Amino acid sequence: MKTRHNKIFRDLTSDYSKNLMLVLAIAIGVFGIGAILGGYSVTKREMTDNYLSTHPASATIEMEEDISRGMVDSVKAMPGIAEAERHATVVARMKVGEKWFPLLLFVIDDFKTKKTNTPFYISGEREPSPSAMLVERTALVVMKAKEGDELEIKTPHGHPQKVKLSGTVHDPSLAPAWQEQSGYGYISLSTLHALGETQGFDQLRIRVSEQPFSKEHILVEAKGVASRVTQKGYHVHEIQVPPPGKHPHQGQMTTVMSIFITFSFLILILGSILVSTSMATLMVKQVRQIGVMKTIGANSWQIGVMYLMMTLVLCILALLIAIPLSRLAASVFYHQLAVLLNLEIRDNTIPNWVPLLQIIGGIVIPLIAVAFPVIRGSRVSVRTALDNHGVLEKRTATNFWAVRFSRISFLSETFRLSIRNVFRQRARMMMTLGLLAAGGAMFMTALNVSEAWDNNLKRIYSQRLYDLEVKLNQPLKADSLLNKIRRIPGVTVAEGWSHSPTAISKGEATEVTQTYPDKGHGSFTIQAMPLPTRLLSPTVKEGRWLANPDAAEVVLNQNARGGYKLGDRISLAVYGKPTAWTIVGFTEDVGSPAMAYTSYDYFSTLTQTQGQVSMLRIAYADRSRQNAELKNLEIENLLQAEQISVSAAIPVWLLQNAIAAHMKVMVNSLMAMAVLMALVGTLGLTATMSMNLLERTREIGVMRAIGATPATIRKLVVWEGLFTGGLSIFIAIVLALVLSTFFGRFIGNMAFRTPLTLTVSVSAMAMWVALIIIGSYAATLYPARRANQITTREALSYE
Amino acid sequence: MNHEQSKSQIQLTRVSKSFPLASGDFHALKNVSLTIPSGKLVAITGKSGSGKSTLLNLIAGIDKPTEGSVSINGVQVEKLPESALATWRGKNIGVVFQFFQLLPTLTILENVMLPMDFCNSYPKKERKSRALSLLEMVGIKEQADKLPSELSGGQQQRAAIARALANDPPMIIADEPTGNLDSQTASSIFDLFASLTRAGKTVIIVTHERDFSEYFGHVIAIADGEIVKEVIHA
Ligand SMILES: Nc1ncnc2c1ncn2[C@@H]1O[C@H](COP(=O)(O)OP(=O)(O)O)[C@@H](O)[C@H]1O
Ligand SMILES: [Mg+2]
Repeated sequence: MKTRHNKIFRDLTSDYSKNLMLVLAIAIGVFGIGAILGGYSVTKREMTDNYLSTHPASATIEMEEDISRGMVDSVKAMPGIAEAERHATVVARMKVGEKWFPLLLFVIDDFKTKKTNTPFYISGEREPSPSAMLVERTALVVMKAKEGDELEIKTPHGHPQKVKLSGTVHDPSLAPAWQEQSGYGYISLSTLHALGETQGFDQLRIRVSEQPFSKEHILVEAKGVASRVTQKGYHVHEIQVPPPGKHPHQGQMTTVMSIFITFSFLILILGSILVSTSMATLMVKQVRQIGVMKTIGANSWQIGVMYLMMTLVLCILALLIAIPLSRLAASVFYHQLAVLLNLEIRDNTIPNWVPLLQIIGGIVIPLIAVAFPVIRGSRVSVRTALDNHGVLEKRTATNFWAVRFSRISFLSETFRLSIRNVFRQRARMMMTLGLLAAGGAMFMTALNVSEAWDNNLKRIYSQRLYDLEVKLNQPLKADSLLNKIRRIPGVTVAEGWSHSPTAISKGEATEVTQTYPDKGHGSFTIQAMPLPTRLLSPTVKEGRWLANPDAAEVVLNQNARGGYKLGDRISLAVYGKPTAWTIVGFTEDVGSPAMAYTSYDYFSTLTQTQGQVSMLRIAYADRSRQNAELKNLEIENLLQAEQISVSAAIPVWLLQNAIAAHMKVMVNSLMAMAVLMALVGTLGLTATMSMNLLERTREIGVMRAIGATPATIRKLVVWEGLFTGGLSIFIAIVLALVLSTFFGRFIGNMAFRTPLTLTVSVSAMAMWVALIIIGSYAATLYPARRANQITTREALSYE
Repeated sequence: MNHEQSKSQIQLTRVSKSFPLASGDFHALKNVSLTIPSGKLVAITGKSGSGKSTLLNLIAGIDKPTEGSVSINGVQVEKLPESALATWRGKNIGVVFQFFQLLPTLTILENVMLPMDFCNSYPKKERKSRALSLLEMVGIKEQADKLPSELSGGQQQRAAIARALANDPPMIIADEPTGNLDSQTASSIFDLFASLTRAGKTVIIVTHERDFSEYFGHVIAIADGEIVKEVIHA
């Protein structure tokens, strides 16, 4: 070993606490990046793999008639078609406790040979015996049941019947049932008939054999199939082509991940600031030694290499700590996401580019950080380095405002000195402030945005003035029924609406939608309501709300808006026929898929369903969940007594829960970020504070020598920390406002196409203030104690 | 005493050094010409602020003259690029500082070996024994494995002298090397320097200490940046 390597080694081992701080600073950045990107890369890969391994149908063709097996075979034989299968989806209801929840029933033609949208069998029967049902694993929670239990279900036309849950499957193409607040069941056609339905298979699912990810190609093939079946006498009313190869929650996932990646980038910057500050401090003490070494013959290159090696050792240590830990955190993270996205992690290898990026980031950034002080240090002429005034400490101008401020006489001597010390090294103070402010800003932003989400969620209640939505199986004349409902005590308003799935009509024979097989994601609905309605208070963003009951006017929500402008004419397919409308307004809804709102009077005339409604919306005086549950039950009983066939009854609280569950990923990630930021912030504070002090050991020795008591010194140091921390809070708050606006807009637009209103979370602010005060206090305790432990003699000879 | 050392000579020709200040340039050295032959113990004396350190720094290539030229053994010091200068200095000039300036995390032995490492001047295997013999010469061989902080001021200065000698430079410069030492220790340090000149080295010392004038073969007195008196003993 060369003598100079001895120096590197000794320098590294002689000052544990400081070097440990450096290692920690590097490690935090490396850890953050690794945890986030590791989690992200695995989740993204598994999401696509999971989804694709179910062989999702390229397109679903919905017909009026039941599809014969012969028809399926002839479609399968068509060139360009890899698979064809018939299928049916029935929206039924299930009883959990005393309440009815939606239940999506997937009717399977042949469980044994199923080749599209195949779920994974987990346990129990693979093919349900008659009057039994397979369930999706996440639905068991909503059903409050386990495999082997019986569940009371009711199909639109049947009576409530008990069905045995005979097997469990996993279908990664479905959102977790608890997120949708509904159940998923798989039954055979004979079971469906036993449950009281008469329909057969009305959906034809196809998979194309070529270009499976080209939407255009799929459309061409699907239309080919549609015209083939039309020739055979079928009537196609809808072709559904969901985004090829994309999980229904891919968009949600992208949002979450973009937040994460932004934050991890910010963490990296924070980490770099921390590293630079630490390195600069380290170098301050080395500058004189650099001067000495240059005097005894070292050239700049040799010195550069020495410090490079020193930094490398620190980096490698940091990497050794951070990489394994980050992989651990990543695995917690992707398992968490897997639960939220209903995925099964089959391959948990983190791709190599993640550790590679960590290594590059964890080495290159500290090297850059150390390069500046080293270059500066080695440029410093030997004479300056050896000057006994000390180096790099620029003479603070005496007219600097901090000095004046600190002269205010009523401040105690110690306090005044603390303030001056804070400003003594302006560059370092800027770094510390920047670090704390950035950490605080991100902490508050995370919480602000998640509170903005909450507030957005609460808008569900202010936009939807109803508490229960009942979808009927057949349109019916409901005047007397509505009157009966209105007479129930506690019911304030009841209205009859119409609704119908729709699509933007491009004048083609069959309408093409982007709906996923769960019928929710990607759907587009037209809703017709009596005007003026008392049950909707839409947030109109542009134009106006519906006013004229007899006009062909339509208001689109943000998910339906597309590229339309006010006054545009739009053609919507209703019951398979194009209808013409004029757009008079755009709304911003919370928790609705694409929606077109129209007048009931005009709509019913257009569809020749005057007087008939397909949906009831009912409002209660007391909107609490407890009351709503009671009233819902009363209404359900009334409907049952009136023998009204209900396809779904969705209380608004259930809708809110479902949306809240969708947002859970988001909110949780923001919280995780907030915690990480708090960690980085306090660590940064501790690091810089202790370094500030270590560097002044000599000065503290002098103060002790001239009579400062340990208590005075502790006070001095603690005030210094508190002052820096306090200053950072103000910057952080301002920064948080800017960031929250940006993130609220970004996240809101990404996830629901509406910006979130800027929300300032008071509790977040209070938490950060408390954290900084406690953190600054705690961060200074150790260095203060250390400063006091060193004897005056040691302090004075301290290099 | 080898041939080159006998020829070693310091030549300053009309050297000026000024420092830019807010109130205008400050002339620390004014048009100084000076010749110092080799093998002498040279003292630079003068009041504080008279320009002694400035002169020494110019000779060691630590600073560059504003005007004039500094030539050492025929090398134009001010013309050397920074990195060549470091190596040149390492091999030709041993510097002894007032505050010793031993590297705190290295042992005394390692401090002495460091210049040989930087200048790659002796075969690796010989460096340790050379360092030990230098420490023996300055009389602190027993302290070789201690850290600088464990030594007294005088011992530290001896170690610093040993370090200055590590690359066997023909010239040693020392800026108030005894400023921090008691007079008894100081005189032993001067003895040490005197013994170096007997071995053929040129030793230039900035000093206040009047008591030791008998040691010096050449005394240069400076006041206000000018040489006011030069005494050369035979
Ligand atoms: N870097 C500098 N900038 C400005 N003035 C300087 C600088 N270095 C030295 N001086 C001035 O030059 C004069 C001579 O300095 P110096 O050679 O250190 O004096 P001495 O060593 O004799 O005490 C002093 O007045 C000093 O203030
Ligand atoms: Mg001086």
